[in-house]
Amino acid sequence: MTVFHFFNCAILTFGPHAVYYSATPLSEYDTLGTSVKAALVYLGTALVKLVCLATFLKVSENESFDPYQELLKALIGFIDVAGLYFALTQLTHRNISQNHKFQAVGLGWAFADSVLHRLAPLWVGARGLEFTWDYILQGLEANANLVFSISLAALGSLMWLRKNKPKTLVPIIYACAGIVATMPSITRCAFLSFCW
Amino acid sequence: MAARDLGGRPVLESVYSVIALVFVLVACAELCDAATVVDVYRLIQYDIAGAPFGSRLAGLNHHASSLHFPPGADLSRTVLVIPVRDLNLGYVKDYLSQRQPLGGLLFLLPQIFSFESKESSGNGEELLKNIVMELEQLLIHTNIPYPVYFAFENDDINTVLADIKRNDESGQPATATTGGYKLVVSTTEPKKVASPVISNLQGWLPGLKADGDPNQLPTIAIVASYDTFGAAPALSMGSDSNGSGVVALLEIARLFSLLYSNPKTRGRYNLLFGLTSGGPYNYNGTHKWLRSFDQRLRETIDYAICLNSIGSWDNELWIHVSKPPENAYIKQTFEGLSNVGDELGIKVGLKHKKINISNSRVAWEHEQFSRHRITAATLSELSTAPGLFENTGSLADSRNFVNEAAVIKSVKLVAESLARHIYGHQGKNIQIFADEGSLAVNPSYIRSWLDLLSQTPRVAPFLSKNDPFVMALKKELEEHTEEVILQNEVLDGMFTFYDSTKATLNIYQVASVTFDLLLLLVLGSYLIVLFSFLIITTRGLDDLISLFRRPPSRKVKTA
Repeated sequence: MTVFHFFNCAILTFGPHAVYYSATPLSEYDTLGTSVKAALVYLGTALVKLVCLATFLKVSENESFDPYQELLKALIGFIDVAGLYFALTQLTHRNISQNHKFQAVGLGWAFADSVLHRLAPLWVGARGLEFTWDYILQGLEANANLVFSISLAALGSLMWLRKNKPKTLVPIIYACAGIVATMPSITRCAFLSFCW
Repeated sequence: MAARDLGGRPVLESVYSVIALVFVLVACAELCDAATVVDVYRLIQYDIAGAPFGSRLAGLNHHASSLHFPPGADLSRTVLVIPVRDLNLGYVKDYLSQRQPLGGLLFLLPQIFSFESKESSGNGEELLKNIVMELEQLLIHTNIPYPVYFAFENDDINTVLADIKRNDESGQPATATTGGYKLVVSTTEPKKVASPVISNLQGWLPGLKADGDPNQLPTIAIVASYDTFGAAPALSMGSDSNGSGVVALLEIARLFSLLYSNPKTRGRYNLLFGLTSGGPYNYNGTHKWLRSFDQRLRETIDYAICLNSIGSWDNELWIHVSKPPENAYIKQTFEGLSNVGDELGIKVGLKHKKINISNSRVAWEHEQFSRHRITAATLSELSTAPGLFENTGSLADSRNFVNEAAVIKSVKLVAESLARHIYGHQGKNIQIFADEGSLAVNPSYIRSWLDLLSQTPRVAPFLSKNDPFVMALKKELEEHTEEVILQNEVLDGMFTFYDSTKATLNIYQVASVTFDLLLLLVLGSYLIVLFSFLIITTRGLDDLISLFRRPPSRKVKTA
């Protein structure tokens, strides 16, 4: 029954991506190539982020909240934004509309994130006899991450692909993009303050 | 094109090999992710002349249950976890005698029986000790067709047990469909121990032979058996039976080697120290050791003193003999010991038990000597002869129940009476091994050897031929005596033993099958809802409905 549990958690983690691809018009316009390219860009971005984190961040012995470290982590989060910029603007996509482009890029981004961060723990851990809620929580996190990535890609396409934007909305768009980009740090701060 | 192909070929092959390696790694990755991992010790499995006893299986893979299971539940695929503190012996007896099917038994022992705990023994602990001894006797002499394991209580396993009890009381015993705890012990099936070896050690301290005296010097033998037998062979440390005897023998050897090192104080008796094995098996090792004796040596032995369990007495010791008390040597030995005993405040009693030659059961070590026509007596705190596998250094016999002061007093008693006999000072009030002198009994020597013995399981079939502990005993004897001989013999074929005495138990908290099915249902409905939601929002409701409508027939179009 433990392979059963692995199967359950796997469809929770990766199912929504497949459902999203097949339910929306993305499948009609065959945007798989775009998603694959976005996934590869995510891989590159993740490597760069890892190198930066390893170089600039200190490993702290205690669990204290160090604002300098958190600021650094948020700044490194902006590398994500740079990666998305690269994926949205610099790559050559087939002739697909902007609407579908950002969805495909966001989907590929989220899928790569899930596979890289969650597949290995799932394979190694969920097949054991011991039952924990961790993998179900991880799957829910993957779902949230899908929404998050697609919204980030949408904001990105608004910022860089659309040429005629109403003036008033521009700062709002940038502010939203900033918040979404640093979302991991924000959730961690909120979690810590909630626990205190 | 061709050049690029050739250059690409090794790259492709290395990529393939990397992918293959990744697949192999991925398939083999199996981390230990149990909630709790505990060291467990298996009940002994042995045959006497083909009749099986003990636990016959080793592997375990069943759900756990406590004693509060609902009556009438089917336990053939359940392991009962029983803490010895709450043990109801009659219940276990009934269960075993009625041969009811059970998946396995796990007994939880209080920490006082392990070496690491330093609790001193009080009244409650004596009661526990008796309960454990009774349980052991019950388990050893029964043929149990399922695995039985012992483990020490600790915090992890106590929380697991409390959880199991809670589940049981709420009426939901653990089976495959309701979740709970699963106990898994994965070991190989037990195999016979081929030709179990028993090793006897002897050390010889020669006496002072007067010049021109052609006769052989008489010899006095001091013997103790060092091996143990218990319900859990990996836990049979036998601190009292017979760790105390071994320690006393080593200390006596040390004291007499000090005396004999100087020719002026060397006595006119040879001293033979014997550490024998095979004690629980009718003193088989002693029998083989004596059989290997030279006829001349056998004739020179005046008498032998066997030490057995002298570690937890208050003020009374017994001398057990098989020759009638009127025998000259017996009388002399007994008087010597009781005189010294009076001085030290120890009451020494005499017990006579005749040997029955036709009965193969040998209850005391001196009986083997008597069968080989050597006068011998056993000094022990036990007042009655132990039965088969009783008082053989089992689970209940832990360091916390042994009193160092008792061992020290016994050493003084034996050493003093021996010395008075050797140097001819019987009846005189001389203290050779006085407390403040250079020949005082060394308490830290006794303590350190007792501690070592209480941490070493010494069941003879599981001691290999050059076992490090036996080598350590040999080395210690070599320091105090000359001519140490190690004799390896094969244990009497009547006893057969099986290995696999120690294992690790993994306790997993498993979810039931219904939970997995329910989760699958929930996830399936979630994905379906997500799918329809996305179709409706991006393509419109009509598209969703059109998925279910049959596609219009082509024939209509062409027509």
